[in-house]
Order: sequence, then structure tokens, then C-alpha cells
Amino acid sequence: MKYIGFLVVLTLTVALALSVSRQFGTIPPLAPLLDPYHGFWQNSISEDELAEDKLELNKLSSEVKVVYDENLIPHIFANTQADLYRAQGYITAKHRLWQMEFQTMAAAGRISEIVGPLALDLDRITRRKGLAYGAEKGVTFIQENDPESFLLLEAYADGVNQYIDQLKDAQLPVEYKILNYRPEHWTAFKSILLLKYMTDMLVGDRDFEYSNLRKILGDVMLDKLYPEYPAGVEPIIEAGHKWNFNPLAVTRPDSINYPDDQLVIDPLPQPEEGTGSNNWAVSGSKTKSGNPILANDPHLSLNLPSLWYSMQLTTPEYSVKGATLPGALGVISGFNENIAWGVTNATRDTRDWYKITFQDESRQAYRYGEKWQQTSFRIEEIKVKGEEAYLDTVVYTHYGPVVYDKTFNSNRQDVNFALKWNVHEGSNEQKTFLMLNAGKSHDDYNAALDNYTAPAQNFVFASKSGDIAMRIQGKFPLKWKGQGKFFMDGADPRMEWQGYIPNEQNASTLNPSRGFVSSANQHPTDSTYPYYVFDNSFEFYRNRRINSRLSEMKDITVEDIQALQFDDYYLHAAEALPIMLELLGSEFENDDQAKKYITLLKEWDFYADPNQKGPSLFYIWWRKTYSQVWKELSDNVAPIVLPSYYQTVLFMKNEPSGPVFDLKNTAETETAAAHVKQGFLEMLTDMKKWELEEGDFSWANYKKTTIKHLVPQFKSFSVENVYTGGGSGIINATSERHGASWRMVVELGADVKAFGIYPGGQSGNPGSKYYSNFIAKWANGEYLDFNLRTADQTEGVLFQTILN
Amino acid sequence: MKFILFTFLTALLVIVFNPFLHYWSVMLLIAIFAALVGNKGAGAFFAGGLGMGIAWLGQSLYISTVSGSNLPQKMGDLMGFGSDIVLLAVTAGLGFFLGAFSALTGSLFRRLLKKKPNNIYKGY
Repeated sequence: MKYIGFLVVLTLTVALALSVSRQFGTIPPLAPLLDPYHGFWQNSISEDELAEDKLELNKLSSEVKVVYDENLIPHIFANTQADLYRAQGYITAKHRLWQMEFQTMAAAGRISEIVGPLALDLDRITRRKGLAYGAEKGVTFIQENDPESFLLLEAYADGVNQYIDQLKDAQLPVEYKILNYRPEHWTAFKSILLLKYMTDMLVGDRDFEYSNLRKILGDVMLDKLYPEYPAGVEPIIEAGHKWNFNPLAVTRPDSINYPDDQLVIDPLPQPEEGTGSNNWAVSGSKTKSGNPILANDPHLSLNLPSLWYSMQLTTPEYSVKGATLPGALGVISGFNENIAWGVTNATRDTRDWYKITFQDESRQAYRYGEKWQQTSFRIEEIKVKGEEAYLDTVVYTHYGPVVYDKTFNSNRQDVNFALKWNVHEGSNEQKTFLMLNAGKSHDDYNAALDNYTAPAQNFVFASKSGDIAMRIQGKFPLKWKGQGKFFMDGADPRMEWQGYIPNEQNASTLNPSRGFVSSANQHPTDSTYPYYVFDNSFEFYRNRRINSRLSEMKDITVEDIQALQFDDYYLHAAEALPIMLELLGSEFENDDQAKKYITLLKEWDFYADPNQKGPSLFYIWWRKTYSQVWKELSDNVAPIVLPSYYQTVLFMKNEPSGPVFDLKNTAETETAAAHVKQGFLEMLTDMKKWELEEGDFSWANYKKTTIKHLVPQFKSFSVENVYTGGGSGIINATSERHGASWRMVVELGADVKAFGIYPGGQSGNPGSKYYSNFIAKWANGEYLDFNLRTADQTEGVLFQTILN
Repeated sequence: MKFILFTFLTALLVIVFNPFLHYWSVMLLIAIFAALVGNKGAGAFFAGGLGMGIAWLGQSLYISTVSGSNLPQKMGDLMGFGSDIVLLAVTAGLGFFLGAFSALTGSLFRRLLKKKPNNIYKGY
């Protein structure tokens, strides 16, 4: 009897111990998570309370000092570059390990390993695009061409791994505890993969949509609705710039047969709307102090932990500070004692699709000219949590991977398209940042940029010696006019890219006479640039506002530049609203609700400040009107893109009764006024509902800016309803989910003065007081002190650690 | 008295060893401890449970008070409990059951062995 009793209780106890150590569905193992000595409770403790004077870091040539300022920004003082990057890896992992690993898991198409089958499609897309394939090429390229940088990449990886190896359960980031997995070792490959992932985030193409549009509209109407250079464009490189080089010849085939397929295909996810950036530099001639001032604010998806991590990296040769990307070496957007630089996305069509004609079902050969060319197969093994691994076979041609085939996104159409993208060619973007970090002059900046392939960026530059510059850098294919705008026939060798624009012929400018350089994702050049430049997503509003302000500003101070970064002027509204009000006429004069809104709109000063009501009304009215205008186009089953807001406003202004506004399938002949009125009616309905359910429709309350944790389901780790102004197309580009992910202003005087902020905090731990502590300041347009520090500076030190 | 002492010593054992050991090692220690001390069934169950439960509750409370972090609240929301108080209770409850069953197992194990000494000293 005793034995039975004992065995029963023993079994119960073991069963209990086992069941609380197991995952059930989405419920994580409870005991490891709740154990107050190892589980999530331990993640409540902030970094300053865990500060240690000394930490062990092996393989250093001499000790490294890390000083944290009161914002938990680490300042690393090392004697050699290898020590510096080893320490950067260690310190970054200490504060951002989960995020850096999660992002590279996403980039490698390995999310299913963590969350199970629901991420399988996402992983398949990532892998079929060939991101990891591109990163493998990148590793080989760097190993062969730049072994020194490769050693630094390995030093960084070793720093990360030394941190992982000593990591105790208590300090394991809470996301690992909830999702029930553990970090694996970092590698140089992962750092390179991360930079490829950035390319994927920032580069899109609309070949499928334009191919469909061409079929639907014909060439003439396509050019009218989607002109490549609309009237009034202000390019990045000042209009009228003289190109002092002899361009390479590009020959356009005399006859082009575009494949004429029915294209009901789900295109790949594109960079989200709102992804963009501003940067500019003003020369000493325009500033009060006589020193150049540089500003940069990249706009990306607003996430926690933040994409950016601030650091100062110091060796005896240089001291650089700014925003780093956890996982990549050095500072990405920042400054040192001599120069400052910043980046905006240089959106341009560098991704093209070729229709592949396979010889037979086996897909081992495809037509190319008169011959059949061999393919190769890459089997992607996607591990899936709780299930068997998924094997995805991707066929590779000399263009690149066949992303779309019968198994993927083609709605069972018998079509095959290969993706040609410069991300698949070996490149060394990391080198650019390593060189910029140590740069001293405009020449150094140019030499650094020569290594840069993708994602193409507009690199702004300013130096203590007084230079300001802008260069649009990427590896841009040499294209004939119209090449790659539509998908091409891969069997026709004449459709190949004919080489690349040489680096020294990429558009650039140094010390232009207007006294400033700027970029905001608009057209790179005017139409005199001798190469074909095309993209669907050039921006039309921020750049014109920036340029008009910079042109009229004089005696500029750092504070003026900060104010300009936070400028809420809604240029699109300023141009569209008067036209819309005019077209609306007096139709709604007897409707009290309508009258209230019209009065609000008429009194509005076009600033999208958080407390304003005008922007909400305009935003809804515009969107309703816009979708009304292009209703017929968007009703197509095949995916397309709509004409830009800018072009739509131009039509409303210049030809309000023109045929572009007529919906062919209705009896009446519509004009712009009809759409504006319909849009207004729909806005009234929406607003009635909003006022009933939510009440206040001031802008911040309407747009509900949210900074989401990287795992969207972890809602309580996100920060919702941030009270701030701005919006898409506004210099302060803070919309619901996108905005300035980093703001930096640097004045390059005798002592460099620098300011920066980002919407997050230095800690990646949702339990830390440094997790989201910058957000309130960021939302207010305030900045943190980003001046360079010396190793022995004592004021404002939170704590310091010696690595040895 | 023995009950209170046993509870106290179990809590102390958790406080001393849990920082270095996983919960299942601590369970094993509690079982061994219960086998050595020899409380009877229900007494061992509740004393072991209270000991570990109180230790876990105390440590959780201590961390959240000293750190002032809102992580317990966030975790409470995330896990669908809605509040940090519930999460505290769940943590303490889990500690209670782990400690209780471990102690009971230990106590019953001792009862199994009790016979053996009788046999040994029977003498041949």
C-alpha cells in the first residue's frame, strides 16, 4: 500500500514538473518563465542595477573601457579596430541580443523555426527572393577581396558569441523565455545578411503592376497618368547641374516584344508606404556660426526594440558616434571629429523580372537565344516548429532565382519569372561604413562610397573643413529608356542589363552655389542626366518643403535645423485642399455638420500638429476622393499601382473636366468635382461614425501613431497612441506606423556639436526603464546630447565597465 | 512548531539554492529535505508548498518593488491574466504546488524506508 501511495505521488510530482516545463500550443513552459530566479521576473531589473565594473572578454589585445552616459549610450574606448568591433559585438549583444538575432532569422527565412507553420509563407518568400543566397555571395566576395574587413566581421561575431556563452538564464532576453528558444551563435554571414535584409526592406519594383497597366491603358495613357518626370519636380542634385563625364553608350533593341501574359499574380511585398527619409546639409555661408550643419532622419517602420542603437566608438585614431544597426559593424548614420554623414533611400528600379521558358517539366534547361541554358536547383529546408521541415525547391537561372513558379503565388497560372537583383551579386557595404567611421575628408567619403552597392542611398556629407556634398550611391544597372519598367522576356539576350553606371558617374554634387544639399527620396536628377532613371515611388512633397525652407533661411542655427526636422507643414494639403474646396462649391451649405467641417478646413493653416483637426478631415476627404477618381483602375483583378497623389492633384488643377476623371462604365460623364463631392459625402459618413465612437478627431488621436514590438502579438510591449504630429509626405514623416526612426543634427565647428534621438530606448528589454524612455522626448521634437565624450570625462556617467 | 520550522527551512532552501539551480533541482532538494526531516503526509505537503510558494512570492514581490518595473503588468496582459497581481498569485501558486508535491514525495519515500531499519535491527 505504502509503495502504491509513494508511486502515485511520485508520478504526480514528476508529471507536474514535466508539464510545467513543456510548451502547450502557444502557452510557453510555465515554470522556467515564472521561476522568479531565472524567469521573466528577472528581466524587470534595469541595466544600471546590474552594472558590473569588470567583465571578461577574451582575445582583446588590451583592455577596453565602456562608459555609459545617463541615457545608457555606451562609449567604447579601444586601442585597436579588432578590439573595438569585438567590444561592439559584445556590448550590442548585451543590450539587443534578441532583436539582432530575430531580424537575421527573418532575413534568413527562419521564422517558422520560432513560431511554427504560420510563418511558412513569409519564410518561403524571403528564401525565394534569394536573400541568404546573396549574403553567401557577399561572404565569399569579402573573404576574397577584403580579408581585413572579414577579420573585423569575425571579431564582432566573436564578441557577440562570448556574450552568448556566458549568458545566464536570468539575463536571457524575455522574448526567448516567452517563445521558448535560445540564441545560437553569431557569424560574419549574419552581419552581411542583415545588410541584405535592409536592402529588401528598402528596395521594391513595380514591374508586374506596370506590365498590367500597359496592357490595360496602352503606352500613351500610361505616360499621361504616370509620367516619369512630372511637371514641377525638384531633383536631389540641383537642377541644371553640369555632368562632367562622357557617359557609356546604351543601345536600345530596335524591336521589343514584351511578354503578353495574363498577370493575376500576388506581387512580392513592397517597401511599405512611409518608408523614406530626409537628409540635408547647409554650408557655413548660410549658418550663423559659419560652420556647416548636417541633418538626417531615416523614416522606417516604428518598432520596439528600436532598429537603431546609439554608440560612440573610439580608437586612438578616431572617435565616431551616432546610430548603429545591431548586428552590423560601426556607425551607420553619424559623425566623427572631422566629418558627418547621413543616408536616405535612393529608390530606383534595380530589380527586374524575366519570363523564363523552360524546356520541359523537369526545369533543367531554359531558352536563351537559340540555345537551352542549364538551371541549377537550390533546396531550401525550412524548419518548422512542431512539424516536419518543409522543402522548397528554387530553380536558379543566370538572371537569378525563379521566384514565381507553379508552386508559388502564381494562382496556378503556368508562368515562371526569374528575379535579377544586384543583391545577388557579391558586394561589401560593410566596408563603406568602416571607412566612413574613420573618414576625415570629402575624398575619404568618396572612397568609402565606392564600395557601396545596395540598398542605394543618398549619402549626405559635411566636413569640418567646410565642404557639403551629396552623392547618390548604389550599383545601378545601365538601362535603355524603359528597360525593366515592365517584365521582360528572359529568352531574349537583348533584354539583359548592359553593365553598370560607373561609380564616378553616379549623380553627385559638392558645394553647390545654393549653399545646401538635400534629399528626400525624390527624383535623383533632372532629365539631363545621361542615364535612364526610373522608379515608381519617388516622393514629391517633403523635398520641395525642405528646399523652399532651406532656400529662404539665413543665419541658420542648430535649433532652426531641429525645428525643420520637426516641421509639420502638410504641403500636399496646402496644394490640394484649396482646389477641393473650390470644386466642392456651395453644395453642402444647408448641412450643419458639413458646414462645421468646411469651416474647420477653411481656417486650417496646413500644419499637421497633433492638436489640429484640419489634417484628419483633409486626410479622410482626400483618400475618399482619390479612390473615387481611380475607382475604375483599382477595380481591375490584376495588381496595379495608382497614379501618384502629386499627379492626381495636377490633373484636378489643370484639367478638372478632362477625360481622366470620367468613369467609363457609368452613364454620366464624371468630372473632378463629382469625385470631390462623392469623397466629401463619404467623409461625412466616416466622420459621423468617428465622432460617435471616438469623439475627438484631432490629428494625433486620429492617426494613432503606434510603435510596435517586433512580434506584433506582444501588444503590451508596444507603445500605442503616441501624441505627436506630422504624417506621410510631411518633413516630420510620422504616420500611424512609420516615421523618423532616428533624428540627428550635427554642427561641424572646432568642437563638433551633435544631437540625436530615436523613438525607443537603448535597452532591448521591455522590463527595463531604458526600453522606451526616449519616446516622449522624440514625440515632442526634443533631442539628446550626442557630443563626443572622452574616456576620462566624469559628468553624466551612469556607470562604466572594463572589458578584459 | 515543526510545521512552521519546516516551512521556514524549505523557504530558506529555495532562497539559497534556487539562484543557482533550476526549479526541478530545487524540487529534488525539497524532496530530500522532507525525507530527512520526516513530517507526515499533509504536514509535509503544506509546509513544503508554503515554503516554496512564499519564497517565490517574496522574490517576485521583492524584484518588482525594488525595480519599479512595469514588466509584471505587461506580462500579465500578454498572458491574458490582465494584471500583475494575478501573475504574482500564479507564480506563488506554481511555487506552492511544486514545493508541496516534492515534499510529499520525500515524506512518503521516508515512510518506505522506515521499515528497513526495523528489518536491519532485527538481528540474525
